[in-house]
Amino acid sequence: MAKPPPITNRIRELREQHGAMSQSALAEAIGVTRQTVIAIELGKYSPSLESAFRIARVFGLGLEDVFGWEADPH
Amino acid sequence: MAMYKIFYTKRFPMSFREKTSWAMALILIAAAAFYLNLVISASRALGQTAPPFIGFVIAYIVVIVIASTVIMVALALSSPREADAPADEREKIIADKAGNWSGYVMAVPALGALWHYAVNGDGNMLFHLVFLSLMLGQIAEYAFQIVLYRRGV
Repeated sequence: MAKPPPITNRIRELREQHGAMSQSALAEAIGVTRQTVIAIELGKYSPSLESAFRIARVFGLGLEDVFGWEADPH
Repeated sequence: MAMYKIFYTKRFPMSFREKTSWAMALILIAAAAFYLNLVISASRALGQTAPPFIGFVIAYIVVIVIASTVIMVALALSSPREADAPADEREKIIADKAGNWSGYVMAVPALGALWHYAVNGDGNMLFHLVFLSLMLGQIAEYAFQIVLYRRGV
């Protein structure tokens, strides 16, 4: 199985803070499918820099407020 | 991740393109199995490798085009917005990776077919093996897409 990317995110938490924004609404706002938003939330896909910026802008935050880097302990 | 989670769709529903990948993979597997069975049974009956079934190849292409069109239309009717939307960045990566990997799947049996022809000089077998390689490559492309959709890119 693929190793999950070291990029973490707070998208689910931020959606809930923003009036329980649906995955579909976020997907439409950033121009991807709902399945891609789900994949990002589950850590199955690391979005492009452009999509990462779009997501951060939807929530009115900076990139590092939404995404983090989980360093490899080894 | 356990293997069964690849097929667990409640938490991770299928997109329009994933559904089409499943449909196309199943159609092509059925067609390949039918062709393989046809070649084996005809070759047994003849006592040698059966000659190319040109009629089947033409019918195969026509049936695949018709079946895929019918299925695409049916899936598009069930989710018209998704069907209209272009592939997003993740779907494009999945298509690229699956296409790249399936090229190897197609090349290996095709090279085997050439080797077999060089050694045995059986042109009929060369035709069947190359045709099966093409089918295998297409099946592999859809299979890789499904795995990448489920497992993650």
